[in-house]
Amino acid sequence: MTCEELVHYLSAYIDHELDAELSRDAQEHLATCQRCQVVLNTTQRLILLGHDQRRYVVSGALRENLYRRIEQSLYHKPAGQG
Amino acid sequence: MLDDTKLLAGLRQRDPQAFTQFFDANVDRVYRLALGMLGQRADAEEVVQATFLSAFEAIGRFEPHAQLSTWLYRIAYNHALMLLRRRHPEEPLPDDSESLPLPATLVDWSTLPEDQLLSEEVHETLFAAISSLPERLRAAFVLRDIETLSTAECAHVQGISESACKVRLHRARLLLRERLSQYFREQVAEEAL
Ligand SMILES: [Zn+2]
Repeated sequence: MTCEELVHYLSAYIDHELDAELSRDAQEHLATCQRCQVVLNTTQRLILLGHDQRRYVVSGALRENLYRRIEQSLYHKPAGQG
Repeated sequence: MLDDTKLLAGLRQRDPQAFTQFFDANVDRVYRLALGMLGQRADAEEVVQATFLSAFEAIGRFEPHAQLSTWLYRIAYNHALMLLRRRHPEEPLPDDSESLPLPATLVDWSTLPEDQLLSEEVHETLFAAISSLPERLRAAFVLRDIETLSTAECAHVQGISESACKVRLHRARLLLRERLSQYFREQVAEEAL
């Protein structure tokens, strides 16, 4: 497998969607190619960083504000529109 | 807490308790998707509001065997797209078959300590990077790698095939990896001193 091919298959490799033979080829390439190993490590870390973003929730005042705005539209429409 | 059946029935009757529970369970997901797609907080807020209002109007047509959250993501995705069109009516559609450049920034920041990777600044850098991706790639990353939807759900939300979803995700990851590698490069250099 070449570096180009490894990069092409990278997401499929990470997501365990490659067939056994391609997966083995990818592992062999990674064992001998420092550059592709770094690309793999950092892409996997990026994905974990993505997962971590679920810690970020709409907080405090903004949450309350959005809730009120939507509630207002739903339940307290001006006369003639409900 | 209402179970799913009672929640759905409550939403259909415009029961305030059901609305509160539905809002609390979903507002963060809708907001993150909108922020990733649009980049601006005010735009994300507008999408949140429009999404919940549309959901209430359409709840009578919701199929109970589907998942409420996925259904809501789809509404949010469409609202975000409409707002994108309003903001940038001219953006040309990129060609998904175009070949990507090989990764160029090859510093290994994957072993930086957790506290450096989980900062507010990294969060903002990542969302800024997502919202500067080509438009069609943004939701694929948010839905799969942040919200951890399956490929099938991700495809359904965007109204595209699973293979198209995988292509978009792959391109998004490579481009984001490049941006973040540039961002972390200096910190890795400092670590090495
Ligand atoms: Zn290589």
